[in-house]
Amino acid sequence: MSLWVDKYRPTSLSKLDYHKQQAAQLKNLVQCGDFPHLLVFGPSGAGKKTRIMCLLRELYGAGVEKLRIEHQTITTPSKKKIEISTIASNYHLEVNPSDAGNSDRVVIQELLKTVAQSQQLETSTQRDFKVVLLTEVDKLTKDAQHALRRTMEKYMSTCRLILCCNSTSKVISPIRSRCLAVRVPAPSTDEICTVLFNVCKKEGLSLPQELARKIAEKSGRNLRKALLICEACRVQQYPFSSDQDLPETDWEVYVKETANAIVSQQTPQRLLEVRGRLYELLTHCIPPEIIMKSLLSELLNNCDGQLKGEVAQMAAHYEHRLQLGSKAIYHLEAFVAKFMAIYKRFMEDGLEAMMF
Amino acid sequence: MDIRKFFGVTPAKKPTNEKDKKENNKTSHGVTTQKKTKDHKLKSPGSDEKGKKQQSNKKKRIIYDSDSEEDTPPVKKSKRPQEESPPISKPLKVKKPDPVDYVSDTDEEDFATLRKPNKPKENGTKVVSPPSNSKITAKKTHVPAKVKTPEKKVSTSVEDFFGMGNVKRSNKKLVETKKEEPRGSTDDSLMDDEAIARELQLAEDEELERQLHEDEEFAKTLAMIDDVPKDKIQRKGEKKQTSPESKKSPAKAQKHSVRTLSQTDLSTTIKKEKDLKEETKKPSRTHSEGSSSSKEKSPAKSSSKLALMKKKEEAQQREVAVSSPATKTKVISPKKEMVTPAKSSSKSESSPEDSEKKHGNYTSYRNYLNREGPKALGTKEIPQGADNCLEGLTFVITGVLESIERDEAKSLVERYGGKVTGNVSKKTNYLILGRDGGESKREKAESFRTKIIDEDGLFDLIRSLPGKKSKYVIAAEAEMKTQAKAEKTPEKVAKKPSPVKRKLTPEKRQSPRAKKPAVEEDDWKKSVKREEKPSSGKSLDLAPASGKTESLLWVDKYKPTSVKAIIGQQGEQSCANKLIRWLRDWFKNHSSDEKKPAVKYNKFGAKDDGSSFKAALLSGPPGVGKTTTAVLVCEELGYSYVELNASDARSKNSMKEVVAESLNNTSIKGFYSGTSKFVNSKHVLIMDEVDGMAGNEDRGGVQELIALIKGSKIPIICMCNDRNHPKIRSLANYCFDLRFQRPRAEQIKGAMMSVAFKEGLKIPPPAMNEIILGANQDIRQVLHNLSMWCASNKALTYDEAKSNANNAKKDIKMGPFDVVRKVFAAGEETAHMSLIDKSDLFFHDYSISPLFVQENYVHVKPAAAGGNVKKHLLLLSKTADSICDGDLVDRVIRSNQFWSLLPVQAIYASVIPGELMRGYMSQFPNFPSWLGKYSSTGKHDRITQELAMHTSLRTRTSKRALNLDYLSYMRDKLVQPLAEHGAEGVQEVVDVMDTYYLMKEDYDNIMEISSWGGKPTPFSKLDPKVKAAFTRGYNKEAHLTPYSLQVVKASKRAASTLPSEYGEEAAIEDTQGEENQDDEVSVDAMIKAKKSKPSKSSKVEKGGDKKPSKAKTKKGK
Repeated sequence: MSLWVDKYRPTSLSKLDYHKQQAAQLKNLVQCGDFPHLLVFGPSGAGKKTRIMCLLRELYGAGVEKLRIEHQTITTPSKKKIEISTIASNYHLEVNPSDAGNSDRVVIQELLKTVAQSQQLETSTQRDFKVVLLTEVDKLTKDAQHALRRTMEKYMSTCRLILCCNSTSKVISPIRSRCLAVRVPAPSTDEICTVLFNVCKKEGLSLPQELARKIAEKSGRNLRKALLICEACRVQQYPFSSDQDLPETDWEVYVKETANAIVSQQTPQRLLEVRGRLYELLTHCIPPEIIMKSLLSELLNNCDGQLKGEVAQMAAHYEHRLQLGSKAIYHLEAFVAKFMAIYKRFMEDGLEAMMF
Repeated sequence: MDIRKFFGVTPAKKPTNEKDKKENNKTSHGVTTQKKTKDHKLKSPGSDEKGKKQQSNKKKRIIYDSDSEEDTPPVKKSKRPQEESPPISKPLKVKKPDPVDYVSDTDEEDFATLRKPNKPKENGTKVVSPPSNSKITAKKTHVPAKVKTPEKKVSTSVEDFFGMGNVKRSNKKLVETKKEEPRGSTDDSLMDDEAIARELQLAEDEELERQLHEDEEFAKTLAMIDDVPKDKIQRKGEKKQTSPESKKSPAKAQKHSVRTLSQTDLSTTIKKEKDLKEETKKPSRTHSEGSSSSKEKSPAKSSSKLALMKKKEEAQQREVAVSSPATKTKVISPKKEMVTPAKSSSKSESSPEDSEKKHGNYTSYRNYLNREGPKALGTKEIPQGADNCLEGLTFVITGVLESIERDEAKSLVERYGGKVTGNVSKKTNYLILGRDGGESKREKAESFRTKIIDEDGLFDLIRSLPGKKSKYVIAAEAEMKTQAKAEKTPEKVAKKPSPVKRKLTPEKRQSPRAKKPAVEEDDWKKSVKREEKPSSGKSLDLAPASGKTESLLWVDKYKPTSVKAIIGQQGEQSCANKLIRWLRDWFKNHSSDEKKPAVKYNKFGAKDDGSSFKAALLSGPPGVGKTTTAVLVCEELGYSYVELNASDARSKNSMKEVVAESLNNTSIKGFYSGTSKFVNSKHVLIMDEVDGMAGNEDRGGVQELIALIKGSKIPIICMCNDRNHPKIRSLANYCFDLRFQRPRAEQIKGAMMSVAFKEGLKIPPPAMNEIILGANQDIRQVLHNLSMWCASNKALTYDEAKSNANNAKKDIKMGPFDVVRKVFAAGEETAHMSLIDKSDLFFHDYSISPLFVQENYVHVKPAAAGGNVKKHLLLLSKTADSICDGDLVDRVIRSNQFWSLLPVQAIYASVIPGELMRGYMSQFPNFPSWLGKYSSTGKHDRITQELAMHTSLRTRTSKRALNLDYLSYMRDKLVQPLAEHGAEGVQEVVDVMDTYYLMKEDYDNIMEISSWGGKPTPFSKLDPKVKAAFTRGYNKEAHLTPYSLQVVKASKRAASTLPSEYGEEAAIEDTQGEENQDDEVSVDAMIKAKKSKPSKSSKVEKGGDKKPSKAKTKKGK
């Protein structure tokens, strides 16, 4: 009874639905018996993790799918205890060091070393190296990344690293140069449609072409999202109609409402309300840059061509500062305030122009 | 008091004498109150007289000594005539009858004769001036006296001459005499004899006095303090005078000539003054109000009066001692006057606002708050007026003035000697009406026929009104004049010693044994010092003593020497008195151990006298006199004390050794020093600064102190600043709690003014007020500030004092709410703040004030927007930008530790927003919601992380993707079946949960974090029955998770993870029976455990392997 996304996740490289050439290359890589450190990157929902798991399965066989979750306790030099959970099979270990926050360096040093220093027991049946999968490498602090550098070289004989991240921009270049970078691009709309059709076929449903396309576009080339939407559509209404509403996530709805509130009225009171809504989004752990982005796209819908450019530039400005600053709400609010001021001026000027 | 008795004895002469006295004293203002007191005192003259006669006999001896001394050192003589002269000139010094005793009669007669010629002249000048108004004449009588003296000086300005203009009291002379006395007699023994006699006499008088108002007592104490300072002033004057006069010293003829000259000048000046008064009739009123009736007769006064006076003096010589209290009461009256106006003004200030509030409805109040500042700020030139040209005028300002702020206007008026009150009354001379002035004030003003002027009118007034001397200066001048007269009759000198002693007595009375000698010595030294100045190098022998006093801080120099003199502790229920009572009764209450049960009982009594406690805890802000009170109380009760303060190590051990032992001893200090005939068994432990008992040094000190208190055989007085400090709280349970409050500004003011006089510092009372408020009513601070300014400049103008006070303003810790309010406050409050001041606001708490600013800037209605929404939004946007900049700086500061950037942050995060949004805040500042939101963000983050971890085997995704993509769909999947099928859907939901390894907790968490904007979650909308069914359905089965649960984490980890690898069954042993752990991953391999109770509905779940029954499973929840 799992969701479609999880139910129909491919488990071997050969079953992957798209980027087949890349899959084939990976397969070749693995079949050589050895492979370098990998840096897999690509947008969310493109299938990075799926691809990595397929790769591991190719490497170690089905045993790699027997996973367990472990909690590890690591003590920092300052006697602080860090709890971190890892997902492990007999052959590999998956860690998200950024869960440890600022102490991620210690996690890298301690955890990785202990794993890397131990040899595989049965080299006859197994590969003579283990794989450590580090997720969200781009969230690692610089310190942690530097701690990673030497480890990557030193324990090459017993351990391979697969780094997984959304963007390499935040990965320091020494690490990038030590890895084989594998880019997993987001699937194209067509590819998503194909996947949707396949899934629906397996579920015994018929999916209209238009709806599939709509879903694919709506998802922003995020396959996971597309599948989730598709399933939600199914729950909402079956048989599908090509013009049915696509259910959205709560936060998207909320952002939309917020944008409408901004556009409908520009007063200090409204700014205060908007602040409340922004806080709500932030407390739900919606990343501020995503809030900014979706807010902007909603606001742009209500803007004139001339205004669009100005607003977009403004948003870029504030998003930039958002990254530099520490309190997201300040910048989001400043963006909203600025938008209100500009919009108000624009509207009033427009009115005057109409009157005279 | 005595004076009245005095009069009572010789009723015939009374009326004239009284008048004279009043005139001279200028205490005449408070006539009515005085009279009452007089009535009281009239009753007990007889007994006192006798005592005094005895005294006088004794004194004769002294006088001879002094005379001889005078004869020998010629240097001193020259000084004395000047210094002592004032008493003579003032007949009021009736007290001096005493001196008369020693002096030969002939001397006195000389004096009388001398005076006569002088007086006629004075009168003559008076006569010149038309006696038009009775009030005016009264004034004149003052004036000539004052004017004379300055003119003698010729080269020096009046102001320089009278360092402090405020000297109003006749007491000055007493003070002088005091000092002289020691000089003359230089004999402690003499003092003692006299003191004893006096004490006897005074005891009664003082009892009476004590029964008078508290205020009076206060004033008295002030007066006592004042005595000393005055001669300083005079000295100053004298210094300047000395050069011309000393040459003339005995030659009276010369002086006469000088006087005649001066008188002619005087007459002209007097006329001018009269004119002024007629123009502005009020001043005369204010000055002479109380006394007018008595003064009216004064012009009639003639030389004959003087003669009468003389006779009286002779007759009453015996009663000298009695007279001293009388002078005290007189002293009181002027003081009162000073105090009362201040009070009334402060009251009236608050009242207008109230009335306005009541008056107008909400909107008008809003208007009031929103009203703009001056429209043409600074457009008009503020005129320079003559000094004190507004003296005696009372103004009320209402509405918004055109070109100056209200504050400015107020200080302008005050600078020129006027008074600004808040409410229109009969005494108000002008109502300054601005834009949007209060209607009620205007009506009132019309009804009182107060002149209504506008801002220009005020400027015109300042420009046009001629300068006047401030009343303080006038008073001082009067003193000088009388002094000058006295010079001619140096014989009078002899009289002075006795009044001096009388003055001292009140102080002695409080601490008869310990303090007396010290006090006298002190005064002595002071007097010596002062005398030294005029005679520069001549009196070398005195130099060392004066050097000693020089080194004293003012705080110590003017330390109260009796409990009565402690500022703000005069009341019957004051802490000092409570402490006295407590301490007095201590040994009574704690003599026997049997009392102990009663102690417990008393503790619950509401208001007790602390008799149940063995220790007292004095708490209060610094500089209000806690230590002083404790020490003085001990001295007054004759207890010896041991003081331990923060400079002593007070750890548990040292307390035990040092204190505990010594406390059980008896002191023989008093015995050896001869102050007491018996060994003093009463001592007190004073633990000062107990809140300083901290750190490693004093570890365990408080506990030990408590133990000490429990077993103590003597009273213990503890002192601390913050009685709510956690360390002190435990101590406070064992102590009689006495909380010291800051004295009111008026209470401090009197004492401070007198200190200023003594030190020759000229500070106008309003300025003194500023200084006191600036120091946050910390007496010690005020004194230190005064002494600092005194070092640079003897005369502070109002402006200087005000700016100094602002500079010295004690840093008052402001709460963040006040800070943010002030950041955005418009108008007077912030108009004069410099950039630094504004950024200082930020530093009250630099970590939280940016948050406050950010939270509240939206609530401000900026004045700059003027109600225009577009402008308002623009300002908001700019403010928000600036706040963002502040955030960027903050980030840099905190990530790179560039703390030197804090000022930059201050500008961005506080000053600029404040400037942009300056206006009116419609509500009380909110506490920054960011903090709350931040912590709930953290909570949600933890929840999503946990969810991500729990579901990671299924979803293979990060928490972020889970949160953004999965969560709502998952939520739907978990709720919809229940919503649609009710209890039927339970199984489906449980399946989903199992698939994703969700526990019931996770389920609830998902519901929680997927609710938006406080709207109810879909789950909460479900029928309660369904919910219950769901809960039951879920609990029916045990649920296996691939992760260990927090509860069993520790033991589980060790026990189960290792063996469980892939061994399908192996892992399932559950030692605690809490949860099963399963490392199986694949769906099919999933092990469904049986319910622990296989009762009726034992369902074996979908085809998963059944656990061999050894697995004890348990409910998930």
